Amino acid sequence: VTGGFARFARRLLNAVWPDRRGGGNADARLEREIASHLQLLEDDYRSRGLSEDEARRAARLALGGVEQTKELHRDARSFRWIDDLRRDVRHAGRLLRRTPIFSFTAVFSLAIGIGATTTIFTVVNAILFQPPAAVVAPDRLVDIGRTRQRNGFGPSSYPGYLDLRQRTTTLDGVYAYSRFTQPMSLGTGGNAGAEGVSGTIVTANYFTVLGAVPAAGRLFTAADGERPLASVTSPVVVLSHRFWTRRFDRDPSIVGREVTLNGHAFTVIGVASEGFHGTGIRALDVWVPMNMVAAVTSPGTTALTDRTANWLSIGGRLKSGISVSQAAAEIDVIGRALASEAPEENRDAGLRLTESSPVPGNGGPLVAFLALLMVIVSFVLIVACTNVAGILLARAAARRHEMALRLAIGAGRGRLVRQLLTETVLLFAIGGSAGLLLARAMTSVLISRLPSLPFPVDVSLALDGRVIAFATGVSLVAALVSGLAPALYASRTDVLPGLRNDTGLVGRLRLRHAFVVGQVALSLVLVVGGGLCLRALQRAASIDPGFDAHGVELASIELEHSGFTSATGSLFARTLVERIRQLPEVESAAIASAVPGGFEVRREAVSVPGVAPPDGNSFIVDWNVVTPGYFATLRTPLAAGRDFTNADRDGAPRVAIVSEAAARQFWPGQEAIGKYLLQQTPGPRGPANRTKPMVPLLVVGVAREVQSTSLLDGLSRAAVYAPLDQQYVSRLTIAARTTRGRRIADQLRAIVAAMNPNISIASAQTLDDAVALGLTPQRIVAAVSGVLGIVGLTLAAIGIYGVTAYAVTRRTREIGVRIALGARTTDVMAMVLREGLALTLIGAALGLLLAAAVGQVLASHLFGIPPIDPVTFTAATLLFVAIGLAACYTPVRRAAHIDPTQALRYE
Amino acid sequence: MPSSGESPRPERIDLPPGTLDLIVLRTLTTMGRQHAYAIAARIEQIAERPAGLNQGTLYPALVRLEQRGWIKGTWRTTESNREACYYAITKAGTRALATQIDRWQRSVGLVNRLLTSEGE
Repeated sequence: VTGGFARFARRLLNAVWPDRRGGGNADARLEREIASHLQLLEDDYRSRGLSEDEARRAARLALGGVEQTKELHRDARSFRWIDDLRRDVRHAGRLLRRTPIFSFTAVFSLAIGIGATTTIFTVVNAILFQPPAAVVAPDRLVDIGRTRQRNGFGPSSYPGYLDLRQRTTTLDGVYAYSRFTQPMSLGTGGNAGAEGVSGTIVTANYFTVLGAVPAAGRLFTAADGERPLASVTSPVVVLSHRFWTRRFDRDPSIVGREVTLNGHAFTVIGVASEGFHGTGIRALDVWVPMNMVAAVTSPGTTALTDRTANWLSIGGRLKSGISVSQAAAEIDVIGRALASEAPEENRDAGLRLTESSPVPGNGGPLVAFLALLMVIVSFVLIVACTNVAGILLARAAARRHEMALRLAIGAGRGRLVRQLLTETVLLFAIGGSAGLLLARAMTSVLISRLPSLPFPVDVSLALDGRVIAFATGVSLVAALVSGLAPALYASRTDVLPGLRNDTGLVGRLRLRHAFVVGQVALSLVLVVGGGLCLRALQRAASIDPGFDAHGVELASIELEHSGFTSATGSLFARTLVERIRQLPEVESAAIASAVPGGFEVRREAVSVPGVAPPDGNSFIVDWNVVTPGYFATLRTPLAAGRDFTNADRDGAPRVAIVSEAAARQFWPGQEAIGKYLLQQTPGPRGPANRTKPMVPLLVVGVAREVQSTSLLDGLSRAAVYAPLDQQYVSRLTIAARTTRGRRIADQLRAIVAAMNPNISIASAQTLDDAVALGLTPQRIVAAVSGVLGIVGLTLAAIGIYGVTAYAVTRRTREIGVRIALGARTTDVMAMVLREGLALTLIGAALGLLLAAAVGQVLASHLFGIPPIDPVTFTAATLLFVAIGLAACYTPVRRAAHIDPTQALRYE
Repeated sequence: MPSSGESPRPERIDLPPGTLDLIVLRTLTTMGRQHAYAIAARIEQIAERPAGLNQGTLYPALVRLEQRGWIKGTWRTTESNREACYYAITKAGTRALATQIDRWQRSVGLVNRLLTSEGE
């Protein structure tokens, strides 16, 4: 096989570059050889007594014709297609230059189509396909998640992880890491103060299983995990390359140095290699081994022993020879076994194993969103392709004469098809390259316009090999699909009718009409999709959100790792709020566990005495823990009752404030104040535990509805608020309303640092930004779909114009006859208009049907705008009819001004 | 651009495909370095059909063989002081000839056996 390949390669080389061993190029050399051959023959014949002329004639006869020999020779060189290709490309380039408007339109639309598709694919590639950096054999890695009633992909507890690790026989290594990055504060001893970093707590085998290597020092080894908790006197930490670069300027002497994490001394033992950030997309700063969890979390933590504390994502590496499905089957069995052994802890629980992914298990919504974007951009690509195909078809018709002529003088059909395809491919190669450049530009715009996410991510939006291969593939497929029909059509020319220039129009026209209809339909879908999202954004902006986001500053802190108990923690929070209120710029301030617009929503189950919940189990509500003054700070009016006060503290009767929706749901038509709720979850962590007693909460207030405008759906749900003093949580967000829009992020930071240097602000933003962030998907769809819809619309208009204008040209004679026979101008205009408009209307009707389906997909993100929104649909239809009319304007005018005397002579 | 059109081709010599290659190689082994005309003359001489071969049909075989690296052409002057491209068989060509001859013998043998057994 290799010998065969080498031979082929050598022949190819000889064919492409024949003169590399001297002797001129192949044709010239052959010329020389034939001359020499003829000379020798002539000499021979002359020596046999023939005259000069006779000898020459005989020589040519013996050789068998100079041209034929050359042709045979070229064939035998056998890479004749290279010669042909070179010729075709040159020819195609000449043609494209000769019709600059056509070429520009085609290249432009293709560049947009291919560029848009490539841009979105770059994102998809970065998030879903790019293998994790600096990880060995990522395709052998798996994720393991906990299921509930066979659904979901949740985190596990540490004991649960150990069970799994002990039992599995299909996995080589099983590691675990904290599902959410932990905001930690890192100090270097000096006066620099603590810095907020995002850290992950990992099992000691984390780096080993992933195959990571250190850039400096060493990474964790089994020894770091084996030492029992009590003996961990000197905790160790590994830094990410990114953090090492940012904070320590790649100083290799950092290894062995001591830093403080959440106030505890840690020794830096090493730095992970460049780019390594595990298998996820979050950017990480530090890694801490599992058995040192106590050092970074509050004392007395039960994180490693509590079977109900599910906080670990689990991953593993397949043993060699084991497939994902084999391992999945085993993990499923282990999950069932664990559930039957401990039915109380693992009720309805199971385990599921999947291939490793950057968004383990629950990438569903993300994948769906990306898929939606992919569909949108491929619509544009299809529109661009049909547009080009339409134009090519028209050109093919114009070239029938040329084709017929070439067939008549003996060109092969295959050859003609190849040549026409070459033209198309060249067109798409230019369009594709332009698209790739466009994608580059659009990607950088995308990066710069992306809102700041609440957690740092590490994805590289590079145009890597896969993206370039994708763009090339898309261009080639598009070229073949849209070039083949016109090429086949053109080459199917029959010689005689083609030369006589009467053409079999019907089939081609039908095809071209179909193209235009398709363009109109798909563009309409895009415009409607963009329109729906715009309306949703409008609605989101216009509806009363139930709070006033303007001028509210947010800052998140995490108290858990700084040694706070629920008593000291709530005291800290109260003092913090008081200090913030003393700032001159601050009108009012409060603390909450969640603010509107956030990504993380806590849901809790409550029951209501005497009211049966819809699913027979319990009511699920959005749960928020707030300090007094929260409603005033957000300007959320209380419809009834009172706000929490400082008197609602631990030991006092437990109270709650419910939203209007909750009040309506629980006690329809009744006064909510004075009623009781039963809280099922006693603590801030862990699943509902049915064995613990329920806690009654007295409803003291009813708050106005808050539209959370969150990423999830933007719909308001029943919400219950509880006072922080009674239901302490450690992850808190400060909300401060400032006067005259002043930014106070620095002051907030200073106050927190002054109160406790170990606490750092994990994220700071304005509530406006936080709310806007929640609407990002709609914004992206609106922008992408809307812009591309307009592009598609423009292309469709060009298509309609082309078809109508061509119809007028084709029917000039007929129209002339009609006018000569007394048809009125208006009749003629109506006739032409009908044709153009019919295509628009058929396309629009198809598009509306498709758009209705798309609307259903978007329905849950539309803030109550109906998926078949009459405003959007009517407006889009009118827009398309208007554009259709405009596209027909020039052809109709031309038809109306046809002079019958000239038209009859026209041919 | 009809230059690449399918004009009627001269009749190829009536030989099974690949045979011409074999003959050329064999000729070059027995006669040593030769130019195309000499090869053609030699084939005509052996074929005993002086007018049967279009000598031009030799060129595809020559270019094929040279692309494979089995023969190599160099320009020299003939005895009559004309210039011509002389082809010589290469080492690879000699090796290839051995296998080609072997293959040829086997296939001819097979066909012969078939033909004779059919005839009985």
